[in-house]
Amino acid sequence: MTSHRAFIGLGSNMGDRAANLACAHEALSAVGTVLRASSVYRTRPWGRLEQPDFYNAAVLLETDRSPQELLDALHAIERRLGRTEGERWGPRAIDLDLLLFDDLTIAQPNLQVPHPHYAERAFVLVPLAEIDERFAAMRDALDPGDLAGVVRVGEYDLSRSGAGRRESVEPMSSTNAASVGERVRALAAFLSEGDAVRLRIERGDEAIELSARRSAAARTHSSDGSASEAPPLRVDTIKADLVGIFHLGRPAPVEGELLDGDRELGYIEALGIRTPIHSMGMGRLVSIAAGDESPVEYGQPLFSIARG
Amino acid sequence: MIANRGEIALRINRACQELGVSTVAIFSEADRESMHVRQADEAFCVGPGPAARSYLNIPNIISTALITRCDAIHPGYGFLAENARFAEICTDHGLEFIGPKPKVISLMGDKATAKRVLRDAGVATTPGTGVLASLDDAYAAAESVGYPILLKATAGGGGRGMRVVLEPGELARAYAGATAEAEASFKDGRVYIEKLIRSPRHIEVQVLGDEFGNIVHLGERDCSMQKPAHQKIIEETPAPHLAETVRNSLQEMALRACRSVGYTNAGTLEFLAAGDDVYFMEMNTRIQVEHPVTEMVYNIDLVKEQIRIASGEPLGYAQGDLVARGHAIECRINAEDTNNHFAPAAGTVSKVVFPGGPGIRVDTHVYAGATIPPYYDSMIAKVVAYGDTREIAIARMERALRETLVEGVETTVGLCLEILATPGFRQGRYDVEFLPKELAAR
Repeated sequence: MTSHRAFIGLGSNMGDRAANLACAHEALSAVGTVLRASSVYRTRPWGRLEQPDFYNAAVLLETDRSPQELLDALHAIERRLGRTEGERWGPRAIDLDLLLFDDLTIAQPNLQVPHPHYAERAFVLVPLAEIDERFAAMRDALDPGDLAGVVRVGEYDLSRSGAGRRESVEPMSSTNAASVGERVRALAAFLSEGDAVRLRIERGDEAIELSARRSAAARTHSSDGSASEAPPLRVDTIKADLVGIFHLGRPAPVEGELLDGDRELGYIEALGIRTPIHSMGMGRLVSIAAGDESPVEYGQPLFSIARG
Repeated sequence: MIANRGEIALRINRACQELGVSTVAIFSEADRESMHVRQADEAFCVGPGPAARSYLNIPNIISTALITRCDAIHPGYGFLAENARFAEICTDHGLEFIGPKPKVISLMGDKATAKRVLRDAGVATTPGTGVLASLDDAYAAAESVGYPILLKATAGGGGRGMRVVLEPGELARAYAGATAEAEASFKDGRVYIEKLIRSPRHIEVQVLGDEFGNIVHLGERDCSMQKPAHQKIIEETPAPHLAETVRNSLQEMALRACRSVGYTNAGTLEFLAAGDDVYFMEMNTRIQVEHPVTEMVYNIDLVKEQIRIASGEPLGYAQGDLVARGHAIECRINAEDTNNHFAPAAGTVSKVVFPGGPGIRVDTHVYAGATIPPYYDSMIAKVVAYGDTREIAIARMERALRETLVEGVETTVGLCLEILATPGFRQGRYDVEFLPKELAAR
């Protein structure tokens, strides 16, 4: 019989999450041979922020099942371990995603391989890259902020967990705390070099805020002496995520305009539906990159906004 | 609009250019530097690398077609080519889908229904039974179908609940095993019998139908040279050593099948052939990868025909006007590691030289410096050789493959040369089990 290799993503954010992952790992061993298993990672949930953090992991499974059969088996495990249907992005005891199956591309309404969103999710790619370095480049291409939100949980490792292991793991381990400290030090170093005035980082339920004033020495060296107007920390480019006709909002935004909150800058009209484009927070509108009422393609830059 | 990528997108673009039709290409972020993007009159990015979000992204594809004021969409093969819902959505938006009608795509997409409908139309399908009530029932049914037989689970798939039974003595044990396994795997122990076709050849018939009920066939292609997991690697036409009676019956059945469902545009009916027996397997409601071999011997541009038919033109010729001449062979050059279970090899093609000269056609989208993204099919080129006889075509193909140079990724060029040199291929005596056996013996 032909054997196949499938990458499966595991997630849990209900009950004893580490134990749920261990049970799912155990159940997967009945569907095939688990060739590799990643560490367990802790991730903030997508979509709904008031629910507990997710625990995520990934395994490489060797199986003789077809993609559809494997998917059915994954659903059966989910049901057995108590995932309640209905609430998309809601709390779940166990969530199993078929990420890749050999080199197949399958697009059926109920079965899509590769998993449509796997390439953009840090909680998928971080564990994947741990068990197969071919995904490292994809992982490294993700937004560093997203990657920082996926933290390895202690030394917990699926492959070393015994059957039905029920010990719970401290969600905030000392390793994690140390990495926060490291991050603060790195940020402080960044601030001392740059011209930044204030920086706030939010992750989970923690927030770190750092302020730095340019030193008197730096001020004397600055040619114009306008120390009060620090340049922005970064410029965001807002890109089109669908194909359609781009329209500027009314009243039309102007380059150089200060956006003092989230603002609808325009919309893309496609198939009779208008999808608004938001400024995604405050900042200064640096440039408008697409013409009013012009066709735009996927990924086309629309606006640049300076933050800070 | 060309809703595809790779060599077939380029192939469709060529047909459009020759017809004076302007083109819009779509591409994913991974294909920005791809040849089809450069050759088309306009090109639109419709999503990121993974196909599910770009080449299968129906809203973005339809939106692109509408804002660029396209009249029609050619889906190529793969991706959305056999998606009846997509064909329907095209029609809803006033876009001509270049292919058969959505209800025919959906009928042929459901293999069991397609078999039943075509059997009713007088097309030979694999002999089999309904669900078996008991072991006694199984004995009687197996006798009437004729050994060897396959016991298959109604709910089955992936080979579970399936047993090969060569003779009556094995039936009782196999029946018990298959029902138990089916019950355990699918909670449905029902099984049925299908005749086991041993070492079949894979032979398919090309058809074209217009909107006025005219249907012609363009001969057969022998696609029996397959890698493990039924992936075609070398195709040829005409099929060597095919009895004239069998050939006629295949062609006749193909036409009958198309008439019974009101088939329009290009399509292919796949059959299994064992000796003088042929059985309908499935119908592909699209242009196929291996269509160039048919084009070579009939001197007909199938993609142009597809576009003409979709724009409402009649075929303009009858079956009697179509005459095949000579022999054509196609080798698929895939970026794959033939020593490692044909694992797809993504990477950058650092150097490439494709063959030329008399009787050689190369359909490819690859150039020196081109990257092969990991998201899609691994085929990078099709080399087609034509000759007055099969021997001449083989000699040309060997010469052409030796001229071929691809550096930077592993390819199937070497494997194709090895296959061409085997006595089995030389003599035209091979079936679908030929290559897997050769590979296993390595």
